[in-house]
Amino acid sequence: MARVKEDTAVVGKNWARLDGADKVSGRSIFADDVRLTGMLYGKVVRSPHVHARILSIDTSAAEALAGVKAVITPEDAKDIWLGINQPLLPTESVMHVGHEVAAVAAISEEIAARAAALIKVEYEPLTELLDVEKAMEDDALQLHEKAKGNIAWKQEEEHGDPDAVFAACDVIREDTYITNPSHNCFAEYHVCVADFSSPAKLKMWTPTQTAMLFQQSLAAGFKLPVSDVRLLTLNTGGGFTGRTSTRPHHFLAALLSRKAGRPVRLRSAGDEEFIMSRAGGRVTYKLRSGATKDGKLKVIEADLLFDTGAYIESQMIVTTLTSKYIHALYPIEASRYRGRLIHTNNLPYYFHHGGGIAQFQFALGQHMDALARDLGMDPVEFNLQNAVEEGYTTMDGAFYASCGLKECIEKTAALAGWKDKYGKLPKFKGIGIGIGAMASGAKGLFRHDTSAAFVKVTEDGKASLFVGIPDMGQSSHTTMAIICAEVLGISPEDINVVSGDTDSDPLDVGAFIQRGTFNTGNATKNAAMDARDQLTKKAAELLEVEEAVLVFRDRRVYPEGQEDKAIPFKKVVYETLHSQEGRFVMGRGFYSSPLEKGTMAYSFGAQIAEVTVDPGTGVVTVDKMTASHDVGRAINPRIVEGQMDGQIFSGMSQVLYEEILMEDGQVMNPSRLDYKMPRAFEMPEVEHIIVESIDPNGPFGAKEVGEGPIVCTMQAIANAVTNAIGTQVKEMPLSPWRVIKAIKD
Amino acid sequence: MAKQLITLIVNGDSYEVAAAPHQTLLEVMRDILNMTGTKRGCTAGSCGVCTVNGEQGEAILSCLALAVEWDGRPVTTIEGVEEGDKLHPVQQAFLEYGAVQCGFCTPGLVMSAKALLDVNTDPTEADINEAMAGAICRCTGHIKVKKAIREAAKALREREVNDGAS
Amino acid sequence: MQLPPFEYIRPESLAEGLQALAEHGDKIAIMSGGSDLLINMKFRLDGPEYLLSLNGLPELQLIEELDDGSLRIGAGCKLTELANNALIKERYPALQAAIFSVGSRHVRNMGTIGGNICLDTRCWYTNQSETWRDTRDGCFKTDSEQCHVIKTTTKCHALSSTDSGPMLIALDASVVLASQAGERVVPVREFYQDDGLDHTVLEPGEVLVAVIVPPPRGRAVFAKLAQREGLDFAAGSFAAAVSGSNEKLDSVCLVMGSVAPEPRVMEQAGKILMDAGLTDESIDAAAGAARLSLDEVTNLFTPPGYKKRLIRALVKDALTELRDQAVRG
Ligand SMILES: Cc1cc2nc3c(=O)[nH]c(=O)nc-3n(C[C@H](O)[C@H](O)[C@H](O)COP(=O)(O)OP(=O)(O)OC[C@H]3O[C@@H](n4cnc5c(N)ncnc54)[C@H](O)[C@@H]3O)c2cc1C
Repeated sequence: MARVKEDTAVVGKNWARLDGADKVSGRSIFADDVRLTGMLYGKVVRSPHVHARILSIDTSAAEALAGVKAVITPEDAKDIWLGINQPLLPTESVMHVGHEVAAVAAISEEIAARAAALIKVEYEPLTELLDVEKAMEDDALQLHEKAKGNIAWKQEEEHGDPDAVFAACDVIREDTYITNPSHNCFAEYHVCVADFSSPAKLKMWTPTQTAMLFQQSLAAGFKLPVSDVRLLTLNTGGGFTGRTSTRPHHFLAALLSRKAGRPVRLRSAGDEEFIMSRAGGRVTYKLRSGATKDGKLKVIEADLLFDTGAYIESQMIVTTLTSKYIHALYPIEASRYRGRLIHTNNLPYYFHHGGGIAQFQFALGQHMDALARDLGMDPVEFNLQNAVEEGYTTMDGAFYASCGLKECIEKTAALAGWKDKYGKLPKFKGIGIGIGAMASGAKGLFRHDTSAAFVKVTEDGKASLFVGIPDMGQSSHTTMAIICAEVLGISPEDINVVSGDTDSDPLDVGAFIQRGTFNTGNATKNAAMDARDQLTKKAAELLEVEEAVLVFRDRRVYPEGQEDKAIPFKKVVYETLHSQEGRFVMGRGFYSSPLEKGTMAYSFGAQIAEVTVDPGTGVVTVDKMTASHDVGRAINPRIVEGQMDGQIFSGMSQVLYEEILMEDGQVMNPSRLDYKMPRAFEMPEVEHIIVESIDPNGPFGAKEVGEGPIVCTMQAIANAVTNAIGTQVKEMPLSPWRVIKAIKD
Repeated sequence: MAKQLITLIVNGDSYEVAAAPHQTLLEVMRDILNMTGTKRGCTAGSCGVCTVNGEQGEAILSCLALAVEWDGRPVTTIEGVEEGDKLHPVQQAFLEYGAVQCGFCTPGLVMSAKALLDVNTDPTEADINEAMAGAICRCTGHIKVKKAIREAAKALREREVNDGAS
Repeated sequence: MQLPPFEYIRPESLAEGLQALAEHGDKIAIMSGGSDLLINMKFRLDGPEYLLSLNGLPELQLIEELDDGSLRIGAGCKLTELANNALIKERYPALQAAIFSVGSRHVRNMGTIGGNICLDTRCWYTNQSETWRDTRDGCFKTDSEQCHVIKTTTKCHALSSTDSGPMLIALDASVVLASQAGERVVPVREFYQDDGLDHTVLEPGEVLVAVIVPPPRGRAVFAKLAQREGLDFAAGSFAAAVSGSNEKLDSVCLVMGSVAPEPRVMEQAGKILMDAGLTDESIDAAAGAARLSLDEVTNLFTPPGYKKRLIRALVKDALTELRDQAVRG
């Protein structure tokens, strides 16, 4: 069903980021730039052991050092818990290399480091459990009392009758894939500044994707009313799913600050960054699927095993996300899913960019590609034949109110010249496709999925927009300004976005699970409409027309079709504010999915990768990416392209380069030099296709582009490699030696 | 060890500061001069977020430069790039062509790009890659950054032509 | 990461610097660009009481042509300056390539040729922060008699990682070492030794003041394997210089970098080419011989067998390039 694209004055044009001028001139402030009077500097003492009992902690020498203002040990952190089973500081045993044991605050970073080195901790090493398979053995050591068999979390789900459907299939395929540990690698290291000098109120400056969850978590940890925790977000130097929950350093900085009675900054140094980041752990994906010989996919079965490391915080979300994903792209008749998170003495893992979904799709996308080949089908044909469409409801209840998946596949294949290339390329050149879907928001993971916004209109015809969503580079603040400006009929440049202080921010769950444009966008639109409604009475009076016919556009207000009668927006505001009534124009709006669970909007995409494999070295070069994304409506096309670029980069980086190398529970490559994220030279040419399906529920039809594109990238590149060498490389990253091994086997 | 009184010339202004020999240029600029535009990253020379421009406009890593070694030698930082109240063409292009996302690495990227364009306003793709490979960017995938540099180069070439004509 | 405190010495002249070196014995470290040394100090691998800065010493900045046609390059020259030097580009394009391949533009703007030649050896276990290293027993470089790279060995196996070193050996260059006792000239080939802990013949009190590259005799090539272009240390590098025709070579020098504590001269592979010239078969055989001559070095990024494979591919491609250079003229 083709919906009409609303005629807009502001939405859909290319706008530069509103904070861009500050960012290019060094004026933007990040948490590491905060300077407070009396500020101290923290340093954490970490475990050198994988697993060991703490026998004693001697802090006397550290405390005696001049300039040291606070030392904390597990004694000071009693009853503070992170997630489900992690005490802030361990009272009995350390569970992984780098585990926080104590912390100090001093008048300089140098003194803090010296003091930390003076803290003597005696340990008694315990049996180490570093391997998921071993952790699941019957006689394996139990790391947590409540996690029987070291299973931290398990989700099992079945839809339809998978066994019966498999029995009716002509072609059945099984594959096992692995993705290795990785690291978020955001440019801004982990850092926070805590001011808990008045124990009744905690103030914290820190980069985050969600001030709301940070505020709640800190309030719970310190048993404070939520409103006595004030989160100040400033700029956030990248998120990539890595700043969605509080980490030990947030609590340690607060504790140190409370003890010292002064603000404390705590920032990771060097390899600590890789201990604090805790992105994805190693995952094994066992997949089985069946189709009939006419090329119809019928059933998918997935068994996922996650190394979740020493503790579990929010990682169980990954099973919900991946279980839903089985149904997201193809209308199948039955499915079976099992996801298990296993404890080991590795770092407690969270998520990397793509939130577990993109990594899962590395496996599922390759598996589907192989199934298509087993069926004797061209993968593009297979995907087109099986792809979901608008109006479809998945087996687990997701309804696609808009869906441009087939359009994405067709346009991408056409632009990439798929037909002329697939199966016709010279040896060691390959082409591959990846397709994806992404939910905008996920009610159910949290009780609600609310975003709210206020709009304050000022007498000079401008407005302040208050939103709670942080901008960590995805440009949400500019996007919200565009939406607000469209409704008020002014320019985004007239809008001052106010955000980053929980004392004044309206409620917002945060910037993850791609809820920003859809949820906060709808909230902003509602707030702006509310504000506009407060202006129409006066405008109608001034123009001597009915309120219903008013048009707000180009900083003017006029009756529809009578632009010559236009009066300045500014005048309407001035007259309203300074009427005898003495009005104040303040719009408010919020949005949460009306569903009990789930979201109203899903975006879709397709990407085609072209690669060259060097048969001598196994090095994969990505020559070109052709990418499409159904964003519903592009609020700011240049930003849409930028989001697509960034995710293609990250997807390529993860599938070909990024790996945390672990040896004896320790990160062996904890630096920007040894953790290989590509740079300028490695980036291929990228062609963008923006598909606009105009979602009926999205603000101006918009959905998301925050994490959808990356879902397509890894599988597209992996499938192109398969196409080039004639066999799958089933373990990520596709490091040169893994490619060579696959060629040789 | 004994601090030394040195004169740092940052963006044309002279600052007399007492610096210990082991303090880096980055530390002194950020912590003594309170110039926080230059960011602190890996502090081991591999991420480029601390890039400033040295005497000849070359890109240098302030995390690996001793402040005492820069006594009396001019340094340009991100705070000194604007031309009066206007953005420098490199900054303008970064802003206009979507080369800025989270903004943390942006100062380092701008200083690396400016170092290139100061001496070469007609860079090849390889020149651009070579000038930028020392700098990290997680958000943009370098694509729009490279585009912005090409556009800035174009603007600078036009300016050269105009300056020549006038 | 922060630097440990030290006393900073900035001499007015080389003589003054040599005086300081003589005075402070093993308590003093030499810094040129600092792009390697300062990181090692941040990691607490080096903790000198005194730091002698050679930066800006005019004696070390000269590039001059000697009477015999050799080029004498001052140790203090920045790598960027050398990579852009017209004479080097024209006469020693392979040396230019080696210099240009060091690190990133940023690093080359700071690093010097002297520092690059003297660059400390590197390994996975030791080039880490002090707290990181605390999780393991020490090694030869820190405080214990063992090597994590090769468990059964009696010496340090950290790798020589300089890109210019192998090329300078292939070009038959020499270094000039100065101390208060005077100067000595050492062929680069003899400057390095096969011990990660003590990888050069530099004596306490000595400074590398210049490198002398003899006039080019034939053709040369430099190739480097690195996962990312324009930034990374080599996973393996290869430098070769030959003279004569492809059919009959008059001299051959093949050197591998980043495979051992010293740049490794590939005698066996070189002999194959001396005997057979540069042909498809001899190139294959030489690449095979290069592969076989490598020590078994564990490398975290790659299984051991893979690195050898890479080296073979690298050598083969580079030698083919060298052969084709002659054909192209
Ligand atoms: C991100 C990054 C990437 C890098 N990549 C590479 C690479 O690809 N290839 C490569 O070869 N190097 C690389 N390096 C290492 C280093 O930066 C370069 O080798 C550089 O050339 C070192 O020169 P420098 O002047 O900075 O040395 P310094 O750090 O000043 O010194 C290095 C060592 O040499 C000694 N030394 C210096 N000068 C003298 C002298 N005149 N006489 C006696 N001893 C001296 C010092 O005491 C020290 O032990 C990289 C570094 C970084 C940070």
